[in-house]
Amino acid sequence: MIKKIIEIYRYREMLRNLVSKELQARYKNSVLGFFWTFLNPLLMLAVYTFVFSTIMRSDIKDFSVFMFIGLLAWNYIAGSVLQGTGCLVSNSSLLKKVYFPREVIPLSIVFANMINYILSMIILLVALLISGIGIHHDILFYPVILLVQTIFLIPLVLILSVVNVYFRDLEHTVNVLINLWFFVTPIVYPISIVPEHLRIFFYLNPATHIVEAYLAIMYYRVAPNLPALFWMFVGSIIFFWIGYLIFDHLQRRVTEEI
Amino acid sequence: MSEIAIETRELYKEFRVYHDRAMSMKERVVNWGRHKYEKFWALKDVNLRLEKGKSLGIIGRNGSGKSTLLKVISGIYYPTKGEVKVNGKLTTLLELGAGFHPDFTGRENIYFNASIFGFTRKEINAKLDEIIAFSELGEFIDNPVRNYSSGMYMRLAFSVAIHIEPEILLLDEVLAVGDSAFQEKCMSKIKSFREKGVTMIFVSHASMQVSKLCDKAVWLKDGMIERYGDAKGVVKAYERWMDTR
Repeated sequence: MIKKIIEIYRYREMLRNLVSKELQARYKNSVLGFFWTFLNPLLMLAVYTFVFSTIMRSDIKDFSVFMFIGLLAWNYIAGSVLQGTGCLVSNSSLLKKVYFPREVIPLSIVFANMINYILSMIILLVALLISGIGIHHDILFYPVILLVQTIFLIPLVLILSVVNVYFRDLEHTVNVLINLWFFVTPIVYPISIVPEHLRIFFYLNPATHIVEAYLAIMYYRVAPNLPALFWMFVGSIIFFWIGYLIFDHLQRRVTEEI
Repeated sequence: MSEIAIETRELYKEFRVYHDRAMSMKERVVNWGRHKYEKFWALKDVNLRLEKGKSLGIIGRNGSGKSTLLKVISGIYYPTKGEVKVNGKLTTLLELGAGFHPDFTGRENIYFNASIFGFTRKEINAKLDEIIAFSELGEFIDNPVRNYSSGMYMRLAFSVAIHIEPEILLLDEVLAVGDSAFQEKCMSKIKSFREKGVTMIFVSHASMQVSKLCDKAVWLKDGMIERYGDAKGVVKAYERWMDTR
């Protein structure tokens, strides 16, 4: 694994180029171009604010901000998973012609989504100030939560991308399951409305811990649940290692199968 | 004895030939445990040793395993059995312009294409002017690649490829690009690689090229080594065999 990391480091320029290609290609040929990176979450927020302040009034204070925090974190997960599953198959021509560490492609998807998420935070921070919630010093935990989230996402995307090469139905399965995953994660509702005896199942979902941690530092303005975050970190490291092993084994025949 | 750059030991490569490729869940369940493919050995017991600074030509008929051997050495294919040892920084040119994006300019594509070969931004910056000059594209370098003619496209791709200063270079019949003047430039560049001590492996149909450019040659027949040794001797034997057919 150490050898692999060194090799990927050698290909850092390729990784960088893939990430910027990913970010640029998204809004290529649109008039506003890269500005959409900010406009997208801004419009999303505008729609929620309108819906939840006039049509569906919610008891939760500043519900649109509450939801926006969860949604941005979720978009990082969902974007990585959805684009990541098909990423090896869609880059088949490159994989067949040049040797480079194959991990670079799924990694570029995760990093592109991460950068997108970090940029959208600018809109979120402005929303926090305008809504009167303000910015609390616990926001300094943000990089820690982001790191844990990323360590969890990398192996997930590695596994999905490589399994999809052998079993193309996965892409369609993931498209459906991601919707289910969204609704079992407390994004559009607070975890407190989940009946006590069911809550344990919700906490088996890694995304719950991630969203809860972001809500803590930005919405509730407290420190995140540190033991939970720590165990999530430990679990993600183990998952990272498993993901690496699975990818390393299955990637051997990838160029023949795509 | 000089240092070994590339060594293969008892190298085997097996492909699965699917008759009717079952990929869906239903078919997987129905055909559980039954193999719907046949095994096909593309390489059988290939043993090669190439010393640093030498060049090797791979010849053989279509389907004899030439390109497969090159891909296994480069790491694109994983060997089924046996091992490949590579000692040095390896660069493979199977196809020119891998990863070229039509919407990006020639200049942007130089960065992307070179980075695929594991080069850092600093290394690319140092070579940029030379690459552009060699490609003879002039001011077109800042136009999107989609507006290029196929000749311009190939010149740019080859120019990037040739400037990456490899220690070991694997080439798969990419020499036939551009007009004769450009080909001449490429040939002299390859000769200068040889003089600089770059280890090279070519796959070629043109046995003339092999006897001119290579020290050693290997003749593959049905995935096995038919003959391996001094380039001129192997090429002669191969041509004689081809004539009798």
